[in-house]
Amino acid sequence: MLEYIQFVLAPQVVTGLALGVAVILVALGLTIIFGLLDVINMSHGEFYAMGAFIALALGQVGLPFWALLIAVPLLMLPIGYVVERGLIQRVFNSPDRHVTTLLLTFGFGLVLEDGLRLIFGPNPHRPETPIPGAIEILGTYLPLYRLFMVGFGGLLILATALIVYRTRLGAMVRAAAFDRNMAASLGVPVEKVYAGAFAFGVALAGIAGVLLAPIYSVFPTMGRDFILLAFTVIIVGGMGSIGGATIAGLFLTQVQAISSLYISPVWADPIVFAIMVIMLVVRPRGLKGRLGHA
Amino acid sequence: MHDALTLDARANHWLALALGLACIGTACIGYAIGDTFYLRLATEALIFGGLALAVDILLGYTGLLSLGQALYFGLGAYVSAVTLIAFPSFWTAMGAALATGLFGGLIGGLIANRVRGVYFALITFGMAQVAAKAIYNTRSLGASDGLIGVPVLDVNLGIVTVSTASPVGFFLLALGVVTLLYALCSYLMDTPFGRLLIAIRTNEARVPFLGFRTTTLRLGSFVLASCVASLSGALYPMLRGFVSPELLFFSTSGNAVITVILGGVGTLVGALYGSIIFTIVKSVIGSWTEHHLIVIGILFMAVVIFLPKGLMGLAQPLMRRMVHRGKP
Amino acid sequence: MQSVLKTLSVLLFAGTLSTSALAADPIKIGVVTPLSGTYAGIGQQVRWGLELATKEVNAAGGVMGRQIELIFEDEEANPSVAVQKAEKLFQVSKVDFLTGTVNSGSTLAVGQLAERSGKLIATTVSFADSITADKCSPNVFRVNARAGQQSAALAAWMSKEKPKAKVFYLGPDYEMGRSTVAAFKSNVDRVGGESAGEVFAPLDSKDYTQYFGQLRAARPQVLYTSVAGNDTVRLFTQLQEFGLLANMTVLGASGTVTAQNISAIGKAAEGFVTGVGYSAEVASPENKKFVEAFRAATKSDPDLYGADSYGLIYAYKAAVEKAQSTETDKLREALRGLKWSTPQGEKTIRAGDHQAEQVMYVVRVKDGKFGVVAEVSGPDAIGADTCTRF
Repeated sequence: MLEYIQFVLAPQVVTGLALGVAVILVALGLTIIFGLLDVINMSHGEFYAMGAFIALALGQVGLPFWALLIAVPLLMLPIGYVVERGLIQRVFNSPDRHVTTLLLTFGFGLVLEDGLRLIFGPNPHRPETPIPGAIEILGTYLPLYRLFMVGFGGLLILATALIVYRTRLGAMVRAAAFDRNMAASLGVPVEKVYAGAFAFGVALAGIAGVLLAPIYSVFPTMGRDFILLAFTVIIVGGMGSIGGATIAGLFLTQVQAISSLYISPVWADPIVFAIMVIMLVVRPRGLKGRLGHA
Repeated sequence: MHDALTLDARANHWLALALGLACIGTACIGYAIGDTFYLRLATEALIFGGLALAVDILLGYTGLLSLGQALYFGLGAYVSAVTLIAFPSFWTAMGAALATGLFGGLIGGLIANRVRGVYFALITFGMAQVAAKAIYNTRSLGASDGLIGVPVLDVNLGIVTVSTASPVGFFLLALGVVTLLYALCSYLMDTPFGRLLIAIRTNEARVPFLGFRTTTLRLGSFVLASCVASLSGALYPMLRGFVSPELLFFSTSGNAVITVILGGVGTLVGALYGSIIFTIVKSVIGSWTEHHLIVIGILFMAVVIFLPKGLMGLAQPLMRRMVHRGKP
Repeated sequence: MQSVLKTLSVLLFAGTLSTSALAADPIKIGVVTPLSGTYAGIGQQVRWGLELATKEVNAAGGVMGRQIELIFEDEEANPSVAVQKAEKLFQVSKVDFLTGTVNSGSTLAVGQLAERSGKLIATTVSFADSITADKCSPNVFRVNARAGQQSAALAAWMSKEKPKAKVFYLGPDYEMGRSTVAAFKSNVDRVGGESAGEVFAPLDSKDYTQYFGQLRAARPQVLYTSVAGNDTVRLFTQLQEFGLLANMTVLGASGTVTAQNISAIGKAAEGFVTGVGYSAEVASPENKKFVEAFRAATKSDPDLYGADSYGLIYAYKAAVEKAQSTETDKLREALRGLKWSTPQGEKTIRAGDHQAEQVMYVVRVKDGKFGVVAEVSGPDAIGADTCTRF
């Protein structure tokens, strides 16, 4: 029994935690973009892949991992800004914004994914783990890089929450999300805030790409991996809620990890999906309400 | 006394008629020169046009974007294939597919219709993913390899017998089925039921004040869409002789959405035109470059931005003027 | 509509041309292979192998004085697309022969189309046993080794090197992954190995670490896996990250570590052992020549997919010259029992089920290359002929 806890249950919980942080990192940008702009960014997974590929390319010319954590999001910010101004804004005021922007970003995702394949080829790549080695606590084996990822990811989530909820910039963002016209009349540069928030979300996806590349490897279709889970997380957590996404991300990955011990792991996904459906039926707004509304 | 919507529908009927005539013309030419590939490709375009029709009922009339309509298309295809392998009869297969569409649509509709908007899109997406995964892992359905060995059929239509192996014969049969589905849908969309769906799309909160239950209406449109998708899917194994789990994958659903946007949302006939054009474009680009996703993605984005009403948005005003002139 | 008419008239024109074809017209071989999507890397190898062999054959005077022309179509690893493209090649391009399909679903579906259109196809990649067993077709040939041959070779090696080892099985949770594991497991049971447990992870799993607890608790000497492609990169990376590779030998199906993913796996692939129909390290003069030519043409090493595709062109050449015809029935007769030489040695197509028999290699990864550690003769590896359709 003790061996079961030590060798099976405890590692399961710990690795589930690392996966949880990874999913939250991907979902974070998604939820900010939805919460503020009311836009479902279907190309978010491809932005995540793009971040990983940029990191790969920069890493090959000799940039150290630590520099990548700053360089990649900085490079992705203007990309996100341009995409918002050049593409999203074109259909932003169409009568059915949800559907139109979803379709537009879906098309953009196709282009991005195929573009990555055109540039980098179809085969997988992998940057070396920047922090090799592991420690063993009570027989549970913990690779250092995963510990770093959980720690750094946690800080990133906290920082994002602080920016959105505690700074003047965040107040403008939330004001624009709550009532666009009112915010504009109070002098908030709404257009810039929108584009900025989109760019911020995209940059977060880029950081997720840098962080996850050493353990999940890099290939053009990698963006498809996380996207269903990330959508599930933001729906259960409440679209636009950072706290909700965090709780939901940790909860759902634990459900997945623990349930796959007792049933065939293939059915862990349907269980997570069922939780999403139940959540939508019982509490359509998710765990927490929308950004700016709660 | 006709309102604008009826006139629009009439304009679409003319466009549908033109399409039908063009198809029959193609069939004649194809038959004359003994073509196989283009006729069978056109048949496939019609079959996927049926799936697009189902997406349009939900998106264009009820205002619900389904990202998982391939679920019902694939289920129809699998049910049809399994039926045909056990008992090679066209009518039994179509009946089984219809039953699947009805039953599956009821279950799916009860789940998905609890929510709307993007949530609806994501739930339909998830349902299709789960179903595709289940089939992918079911050994008796051929698992990841799919099922081959769907026999060639002789379809007894009373007056004539059509073999599914005959390119022109099966093309005309598929044309007949898809035309019937189109006629049924456009008839229903012109009845009070259809008008209420449009009312839901426009302002769902007001519909209950008119004394109608929106949940029943939405369920109705969901089941209609699932039956149309399932019946179209039932034709697929007759054409190609096999089914595979890829029929339920997101790429199939996504292509159907692209088709509808390309053809024109909320026109029904646009779905059929869209499917034919999309099939041609895909076939040409696919042979031209392996990076066809870039081309299709850019094309699709351009349509979303510059042609929000799709190709029918270009053709319809013309037709409407014609119809107006005919009936002052 | 006008464009449709235009295409049709072009078609009509092309039709009249081909009926008056001369003997000097090229022989057309259609290639329906994934050039986009997850399997694009395999499609690339198939393409390189076929193109290299075609270039060599054409330079040496072609087949019966006729040049070979390859026509490529992207099948997106989707049987529906594969069948549509294959029909285009059969009906419009009027190809004489077709190859290239990768996933077994596509091979089976295209094989059925070939049977109904009276054409022949060969696969150089698909290794599902069923293609030349219970779902065999008189119009389908396979020139690469199937799963059964691969696992027979690996099991023969294991009985010698690791007798009575405790084996843990980790496979992708879908039909092919499960049947591959089951086939190897029965081989292991036969040679006296012991099962320490088994886990099936979903296809495209992000994280395999959740199964590592069970793996550690089972303390196996050998891990057998049948995951493939990008999944392998993740599995091996994470095994290394969790320090599990130190006291354990990893064995796998032949699609597990390939030229596409070996550089991404890096050091974690060291010591991996698999049974396979080809290795670039095979030390025959034919193979050395082939590897050099392949490197010169593509700047990469050939893997089993490239080598088997390369060999197919020579099989086709030999069969056409034997039959003195490209016509289906005559060519089928010529292909049955055909012996021809390939970079990996002589191959024979068994008449009973159209499966190629060849020497099987057991290879171990050393310094990022597949070194050959053992050979198993063709007849020992091929297994029984269970095809009953012809």
